[in-house]
Amino acid sequence: MQKLLFLLLLLPFQFFGQGYQVNLQGQVSQGMGGAGSALMQDASALFFNPGGASFIHSNEISLNVTPTFGNTSFLENNTNATANTTSPVGTPFSLYGLYQIKDSSKLKLGLAVYTPFGSTVEWEDEWVGRFALTRLQLVSIFVQPTISYRLTDKIGIGAGFIYSYGKVNLQKDLPIQDASGEYGTAELDGSGNGFGFNVGLFFKLTKHANFSITYRSKVDMNVKSGDATFNVPSSLEDKFPSGKFSSSLPLPAVFTFGLGITPNERLSIALDANYTDWTAYDTLAFDYENNTESLEDTKSARRYVGSIAVRLGAQYKINEKIKARAGFAYAISPVLTDYVTPETPDANRFNFTIGLGYQLSEKFILDASLLFTQFTREATNLETGLSGTFKTRVYAPGIQITYKL
Amino acid sequence: MTLKQLSILSAAALLTFSCKPKFEITEASLGDINTASYVAIGGSSTAGYSDGALNLNGQENSYTAIIAKQFDAISSTSFKQPLVSTIGINLDGNSRLIMGYKTDCKGENSLSPVRDALAGDNTILGNNIYGSSGAFNNLGTPDLSALDVNLTGYGNSANGAGNYNEFYSRIASDEVNASILGDALAQTPTFFTVRLGEQDILNSATKGGTVALPISNGPAGVGFDGSLDEALSALSGTGAKGMIADIPNVLDYPFFNTIPYDGLDIDAAQAITLNQVFNPLGISFQVGKNAFTIEDPNTPFNVRKMLPGELILLSIPLDSVKCNGMGSVNPIPDKYILTLEEIDSIKARIDEYNAIIGQIAATYGVLIVDLNTMYANFKAGTVYNGISLNTEFVSGGAFSLDGINLNPRGQALVANKFIKLMNNFFNANIPFADPTKYSGIIFP
Repeated sequence: MQKLLFLLLLLPFQFFGQGYQVNLQGQVSQGMGGAGSALMQDASALFFNPGGASFIHSNEISLNVTPTFGNTSFLENNTNATANTTSPVGTPFSLYGLYQIKDSSKLKLGLAVYTPFGSTVEWEDEWVGRFALTRLQLVSIFVQPTISYRLTDKIGIGAGFIYSYGKVNLQKDLPIQDASGEYGTAELDGSGNGFGFNVGLFFKLTKHANFSITYRSKVDMNVKSGDATFNVPSSLEDKFPSGKFSSSLPLPAVFTFGLGITPNERLSIALDANYTDWTAYDTLAFDYENNTESLEDTKSARRYVGSIAVRLGAQYKINEKIKARAGFAYAISPVLTDYVTPETPDANRFNFTIGLGYQLSEKFILDASLLFTQFTREATNLETGLSGTFKTRVYAPGIQITYKL
Repeated sequence: MTLKQLSILSAAALLTFSCKPKFEITEASLGDINTASYVAIGGSSTAGYSDGALNLNGQENSYTAIIAKQFDAISSTSFKQPLVSTIGINLDGNSRLIMGYKTDCKGENSLSPVRDALAGDNTILGNNIYGSSGAFNNLGTPDLSALDVNLTGYGNSANGAGNYNEFYSRIASDEVNASILGDALAQTPTFFTVRLGEQDILNSATKGGTVALPISNGPAGVGFDGSLDEALSALSGTGAKGMIADIPNVLDYPFFNTIPYDGLDIDAAQAITLNQVFNPLGISFQVGKNAFTIEDPNTPFNVRKMLPGELILLSIPLDSVKCNGMGSVNPIPDKYILTLEEIDSIKARIDEYNAIIGQIAATYGVLIVDLNTMYANFKAGTVYNGISLNTEFVSGGAFSLDGINLNPRGQALVANKFIKLMNNFFNANIPFADPTKYSGIIFP
């Protein structure tokens, strides 16, 4: 298990969700369009609503992984040149442990490890936007110890402390050529950490309806001493000194309102709305330790706007062992047209999902889902002038195993 | 499910998941353009002169060659150029410039444009290659004045300096009896591009105004309007579609803007010495930055300090400035300087020529390509697909090492400017050239 987790940590994630947000934190929810913060079904409540975790009766551990297959293609205006990403398969994952100290206690303790932001985009060699970006890898892992408390039979509250670790690796070509015509390259590589919290409130409105509010705070990933490596013709090496850099990337706050309705024993319906405060991502700045006239500190405007996503899903219990799920979501992009970049060729989008839950035994539950989304964005970037249409298609089949103690 | 079934299913799933989004691309077409005989006329920029010489890399990546290449990708288009060698040659017998290391008079070794070879390739000039490899679609001729475009015997050395051009001698159908326009018409052009006038301005400006600017109005061979009228009338007379570029503000080019007018930086001892020499003439110096001294026949002692806005040309011998007192004790000769008066008359002439280009092009239905605005964008600083472009010498990204002509990347941008207009007005859908695939300055 430890070894598996270690392996997962090394794997990059595929961009997914709005901006570089990743909304793949549990197969039950994933099967229902990403909704379900007010339907307390399993330990993923630690992420979706810490307040509701106290209403889950069992102690359980679950591991969830969603290989994502994403491809973006770009058609440049005017040249008709096309380029494709060669991004590796992403593997967002989550791991939850939920434990009740005493049988009668209203207090539940939990630990959640998940990957709410991440992105790996790699463009084919010599693509037309090579001077804007050739590769971006962003990895973040949140570790969240959580307390959830059932105040009354109807109200639960919960809070988690977030420690976050992240890595970023950004590469692009420089429009400087050596004697063989090869372009120079720049690579920024760093890691950092940050802190935050995740709090939630859960109401049982009636026997058939639940309501929840959660707030996960912003986490600033501060890279204090990253490595900037420049590969340029030897005559220009003194103008592009490799050395340290610092930067900061905001992982924005998310508010979620959830409604869960269970008209009868078989059917559950979930409706969630998220507001992600992307306004935190206003500027991407790099501060180089060694500045020269050719290598100045950079500040790139991103100007992201706050964005809303609405998610609707349903679950139907076919029999005691099998649950079928389906859902969809509509998410509004936080990226304004003038600021679309090849690292997040984002657009408003519909996500479609289906899912299945299967009770393997009294102790084990297997859940699986499949997500599909496709979106198109035509844009001209203000900073680089890169102009064209990005088309992205993502398949994300995921699987989760839950063990009830 | 057996293992085999499972693996087949997984493979099918992976295949589905990895398929790339597709685009529907409108089919490329030449529209109303007939490329059976594309003829290009112009001066150095059209010929592909760059890095201070006519050389192979410049020719293969001239805007005309790039346009022809974009045509050829749609429908087979032959575009013959009088190609030379890699090191090339200019009219001073020098090879092209490349980036290298140079030791100056003070013994300082630094990265700088240097000649690729001790001398240019002397096999290029002095023999006519029309018979072996003509006729040429690209009739671009370095230094070509608009007044000479229909000059019979422009390739004839017997006409004497100023009335013939060695580069044309090389490609003329007949050194004695041919003219550039005649050689163009002999190919019954179906499409033509013209870039005339810029070279006339440059021929004067790059000599510090010591060569007169051709007058705007006058008959063919005397005035710009008559000469251009003759050329466009003849070229469009066959029904061929054509385009003509207007003239950028050449004074924005790096050649005129690299050495600051007040670059004379002196210490206290030097200031004392200079003041001893110049104070009697009413000229004084201070420690630190000073304007250079220049020759000016309109001042009492034929010398004065430069004024803000006056330009020093890149042709100035820098070692003389650094070590032999040029610009301080010895005023800079007129041929390396553009005075405010000269600048004004050059600008006025560019405006006049551009007005003439507008009128004559309209008369003959020839499209005007607005390079003036495009170069103004270089001056202001612009960005193309993440590549910064400006008029800084060497680092600016668009100009070649001579500071006047564009490098291949800049040429591709010019070609795209032409293509954009073709797409707008000739019902064509010609993909732009990709400037990121064309090189800028090469560094060691």
